[in-house]
Amino acid sequence: MGMSGRRFGAWLLASLRATRRALPYLVGGIPGSLVALVYVPVFVLCLLLGFGYMMLPALVRFLRWRARVDRRRTARFTGDPIPQSYDPPAEGRWGEQVPALLVPATFRDLYWLFVHGWTGSVFGLLAIGLPLSAINAVAVPFYWWAMPAGSGHPVTSWVGALSMVPVAAACAVLALMLVPRCARWEATLARKRLVPPPDDELTRRVAELTASRAAALEAHGAELRRIERDLHDGTQNRLVAVMMQLGIAERALRRDPETALPLVLRAQNAAGDALGELRNVVRSIYPPVLAERGLDGAVAGLVARCPVPCTLTADGLRRAPAAVESAAYFTVAEALTNVAKHSGAERAEVRLSTDHGLLVIEVIDDGHGGAAEDAGTGLVGIRRRVAAFDGRTELSSPPGGPTVLRAELPCGS
Amino acid sequence: MRVVIAEDDALLREGLVLLLANEGIEVRAAVDNGDDLLAAISAERPDAAIVDVRLPPSFTDEGLRAAVEARRRLPRLPILVLSAYVEDSYATDLLADDAGGVGYLLKERVGRVEKFLDALHRVVDGGTVLDPEVVAQLMVRRRADDPMRTLTPREREVLALMAEGYANGAIAEQLSVSETAVSKHIGNIFAKLGLQPTDTGHRRVLAVLAHLRS
Repeated sequence: MGMSGRRFGAWLLASLRATRRALPYLVGGIPGSLVALVYVPVFVLCLLLGFGYMMLPALVRFLRWRARVDRRRTARFTGDPIPQSYDPPAEGRWGEQVPALLVPATFRDLYWLFVHGWTGSVFGLLAIGLPLSAINAVAVPFYWWAMPAGSGHPVTSWVGALSMVPVAAACAVLALMLVPRCARWEATLARKRLVPPPDDELTRRVAELTASRAAALEAHGAELRRIERDLHDGTQNRLVAVMMQLGIAERALRRDPETALPLVLRAQNAAGDALGELRNVVRSIYPPVLAERGLDGAVAGLVARCPVPCTLTADGLRRAPAAVESAAYFTVAEALTNVAKHSGAERAEVRLSTDHGLLVIEVIDDGHGGAAEDAGTGLVGIRRRVAAFDGRTELSSPPGGPTVLRAELPCGS
Repeated sequence: MRVVIAEDDALLREGLVLLLANEGIEVRAAVDNGDDLLAAISAERPDAAIVDVRLPPSFTDEGLRAAVEARRRLPRLPILVLSAYVEDSYATDLLADDAGGVGYLLKERVGRVEKFLDALHRVVDGGTVLDPEVVAQLMVRRRADDPMRTLTPREREVLALMAEGYANGAIAEQLSVSETAVSKHIGNIFAKLGLQPTDTGHRRVLAVLAHLRS
């Protein structure tokens, strides 16, 4: 008896502790599971009837919030955080948002709520009911005689009251045995349903890279067309002009040499123009100054030429691949052009830094703010340029300023 | 001679007007887009139109399309198309109708004023002018079993000049040979390539080009 008594004592202690931990988890799940019991049929019905698509963004927002709450609750219980990954909500019109919402992640969450609606309420009721029954059974001998006759109370005699003691013990043991187990089942279920599948992160990454690759091709194509236009309309036409002036001069020399000189001078000017155009095209492909002085040196030149007084901070900037530096250079150039053209700023600041393999560009101005993505093509161009390198662009421009443009470019290392 | 010009680059347009004026050619209108070109042609009824392939708003082949449209409205209107680069397919569009009086030249050819004027006159006289560059593009793509390979170097020269739209006399002059020798070469070429020797002028150019493209 002594041996098994000690073992019983140890089991009792451990179970009491486990039950005390499990109770808040299961009881805390009750409201959510009751909501889920209503929510899931409503969601399905809404979609079946069609008008649910109108409310889909709101429905999915709620769904994700519920799933987030359950992730946190379960993580608190198990001490093991549950990762979550959702695609960022699609921007734009409602029609573009819907396809982004009808994704596996949404249906996984919905399935969890469906399961949790039942398990959560049943386990929760057990977690409340069993301990309460045990306490009630213990209390019966103390109050049964006070119950008015005819109240329908099942215990009507001392014998009945005392027989409630084993019932209390049974309920207590059941509670101690079942409540921790139910909590473990519930937590296991939650983990299984709420952890994103291992390839989800990968799928998301592939989708991102596919998008950035498409953007890169798009940007590359646009760049090629621009260079071709510049060469065609600029350089080539200027050289044709040189040929033409020389042709006119040649004819003049044959007829009347006196009149040829101004024509030769004009041809010379046209050749100078052609060189100037060619220089511009070359600079627009890859500014030679980047190779010679690095990104900070090249940007210092931009900052100095900016009509708005501008300062440059480039502490902790490391060299990046030529393509990245070139993208950064043109990003700053376009941003400063925007500042000069649209912001009404009195001063501006450019910050360049390298942070965890990211080249971070910040262009800040004290102008009137309210810069909009679609107002000019400058910001769109910047975004496209940065996206082509798998980078991110953020624009903060509240009315009244200040405007902060932040671009992050992975350095590829 | 009275001409109209369509060229979107202002400097080139002015240069062309000056060049032509110096040579005694009257420029009745100098415009910078296809619609104005068509209007000017209707209004001026010029002896020829000189058109840049690339015009606004699309900056692709607006000028070429305007030229084709002008020919549709005024068949036989001589048109000389200038382009910063040559494309065989553009030449095909332009030479498609059976009438002569068309030319397709690289822009920079205007610098060789004498040759340019010669080309312009040939177009106005109903001839066909094709840039040597287009012909060169067509002549390099040859299959192994092509009868072109049996041509002598001299015959290839003659063939190229025929494709550029020169008449026998002009070919003889350029190669410094007699016109009889040229006729003999042409007879040999047509025999080797299996072409009808009766074609002359624009039809001869078309036949030669058709063979080069096949």
